[in-house]
Amino acid sequence: MQKRWLSMTAVLTAIALVAAACGGGGTSGTTSTPSGAAATTAATAVGEVIIASDLPTSGADASSGLPTQNGAAFAIAQTKSYKGITITFKPFDDTVNGVHDPQKGAQNVQQMLSDPKVIAMVGPFNSNVARAEIPIANQGPLAMMSPANTNECLTQTFPYCDPQPAALRPTGKNNYFRIAAPDTVQGPAMADYIIKTLKLTKVAVFSDNETFGKGVADNFVKRLTATGGVLTNRSDFDWKTTNDFKPFINAAKAAGAQAIYAGATSATKACIVRSQMQGILDVPFTGPDGIGDDQCLKDSGSNTANMYFTNAAGDAAQNPDAASIVAAFKQAYPKASDLGAYTFPAYDCAFILVDAIKRAIDAAGGKVPTRQQVIDAVQATSGLKGTVGTYAFDANGDPKSATMAFWASKGTPAVWTFQSQFSVGQ
Amino acid sequence: MVSSVANARTRLLAGSRGKLLNATLFLIIAIAVIILATKVATLGPAYFVQILVYGLANGSIFALIALGYTMVYGIVELINFAHGDVFTLGGFISLWLLPTFGVTEGGSVSGAGLILPLLAILVISMVACAVVNVTIERVAYRPLRHAPRLTPLITAVGMSFVLEGVMYLWRGPFNLHYPNVLPTAGIELGGANGPAIGFKDLAVIAIAIVLMVALSLFVERTKLGKAMRATAQDRDAAQLMGIDINRTIAATFFIGALLAGAGGMIFGLYYNTITFDQGFTAGLVAFTAAVFGGIGNIQGAALGGLVIGMIQSLSDGYFDTAWTQVLIFAILVLVLVFRPTGILGMRVPEK
Repeated sequence: MQKRWLSMTAVLTAIALVAAACGGGGTSGTTSTPSGAAATTAATAVGEVIIASDLPTSGADASSGLPTQNGAAFAIAQTKSYKGITITFKPFDDTVNGVHDPQKGAQNVQQMLSDPKVIAMVGPFNSNVARAEIPIANQGPLAMMSPANTNECLTQTFPYCDPQPAALRPTGKNNYFRIAAPDTVQGPAMADYIIKTLKLTKVAVFSDNETFGKGVADNFVKRLTATGGVLTNRSDFDWKTTNDFKPFINAAKAAGAQAIYAGATSATKACIVRSQMQGILDVPFTGPDGIGDDQCLKDSGSNTANMYFTNAAGDAAQNPDAASIVAAFKQAYPKASDLGAYTFPAYDCAFILVDAIKRAIDAAGGKVPTRQQVIDAVQATSGLKGTVGTYAFDANGDPKSATMAFWASKGTPAVWTFQSQFSVGQ
Repeated sequence: MVSSVANARTRLLAGSRGKLLNATLFLIIAIAVIILATKVATLGPAYFVQILVYGLANGSIFALIALGYTMVYGIVELINFAHGDVFTLGGFISLWLLPTFGVTEGGSVSGAGLILPLLAILVISMVACAVVNVTIERVAYRPLRHAPRLTPLITAVGMSFVLEGVMYLWRGPFNLHYPNVLPTAGIELGGANGPAIGFKDLAVIAIAIVLMVALSLFVERTKLGKAMRATAQDRDAAQLMGIDINRTIAATFFIGALLAGAGGMIFGLYYNTITFDQGFTAGLVAFTAAVFGGIGNIQGAALGGLVIGMIQSLSDGYFDTAWTQVLIFAILVLVLVFRPTGILGMRVPEK
């Protein structure tokens, strides 16, 4: 009997160890990158600073999170040290069971704060994760620089925001910056595109009921109805438990919808709807940046024609000045799946942070700067040219100008193809 | 034990408090029906028919899963929590087999040529799921047959996690696209822009009905079916009559998983998406269906599945999907409070 207990305990311990190993994957240190981002020259170093990242890099979200992380890692690898202070990269993963998780993100930020070397972070990717992370990072204070967050309530005060941006910043000072255009631009951009470019007026809208998805859908509907469009019907799905989208599709059909707008992401089943539309409703399928990845095209099955998305950042391939950086990146990360819509925005985020850290080091007289000094340096960024934009920040942490791009699915098998882009001043 | 509690409950409800409760329940249902009726009237009859067809197809899938729960409960009084994951496994195995049989979306095999390969895949997936379920019974439940009731319940939860883990490792956490191979054409109601009853919907309903009729014939007419009924009624007496209990119980798990496996494949074909953890929610809903119809009661499970599927579609179509889960589990609570034995009554051994 005792023997049996012993062996059982052994098995349980083994399981616990494996679980711990898996759970700790995101925090187990610096991931090696092809270009050797983590290479340090400890002999000459008078100090070390770490730029962390918090992105969803495993599971369903990895299709957008990993290419983003690659961009940040590549940018930081370009500057290994400055005035004897080494700059290294430490990625964190905020997924739980393959899906981005606000609590996990908050834990990651706490880990970053506990490491005095971490003086800035790239990320997060998802707006609901940002909402959980900003208050914690704010008390650090730790500079956050997101390539992809678009929810307007993270930075701007609107009556419908809950919580208000001020509530996310307990110290009263701002520590959060982003380079993507907020959803007050992204949602309306697709509404304009549907009315002016696709020349359609009746649109059915659904959302995944998350911070990002519902917010961008609301902004879409506001512009659509204000510019002569008609909202035929709307559903906010509990995406975790919903598999049957046919009643929504049929309601759209009955109301004569000429297009569908998805306030959701591939990870929240946006493109399953596209697949289920087959044979019922054959109209263009549109959405925000959240559907602009391979997973969406896979989920749509053979129903991939006529799909459009807005990207809240420009396309680096449209910028001739960035050509050499794009080429160098492709050499270091040769796989097609290494490059995503937010790779170069993330590159720019890390680039802005590195630039700010250099200025902060100068200001601190060649010593390791404090976290607050880094935040001040980021805020003072002005006219900095990156691969997809030129950066300066307003007091809210929003970019003073941003780019919005339109992409469409083309060809068989379908690939996302750049259509056009425009600049927006805040 | 269970039914004596239930009887006591029923007697209690017969009192004045029971009348009040029944009146409240009636009022709640009446309000829901009135709201629904006004919505139905505004959206027109064709849309209503469409939603009913979706409800039937939804319900057929739930019924297939619910049957496994109810059969296993009837015979060993165990809620087999791994059953929902056996259902998912059916989807995964069939998804893996589809390209092997040359069935791909927009591929060369189409129309009538699809029938044979799809049937073959269906049968293989069903049998594979059945073998897995019998193995689970042999490994995780049979050694605990005389242990306290809670013990096999916990191993059942454990087996559920094991299956989910295996499928996670096999195909990852993504929503997997399940090829849309069934013809998308259908019978059109009210012109080209109106609703249509798809071939897909009809196929799903037809397969489920065939399987359910086969099951009820099997349980009513065959020797093994008789043995199953006898074992469910009184295990010890059945053993005295020379019935091999272990074999009978294994057969119950086998048949339950056959239906769940078929449900898994149909689910994939119908919704074009499967995820490793879908069995958790689907299993809970199907379990609700089984309780609704009266757990242990085969006809009850089929009826419960159809009713729950119909409620789901009506709620999705006329209210909001956000309310669907609330409605379904509110029904579970109401049924347990007002009719603990389900609509058609529990069939559990008197002890």
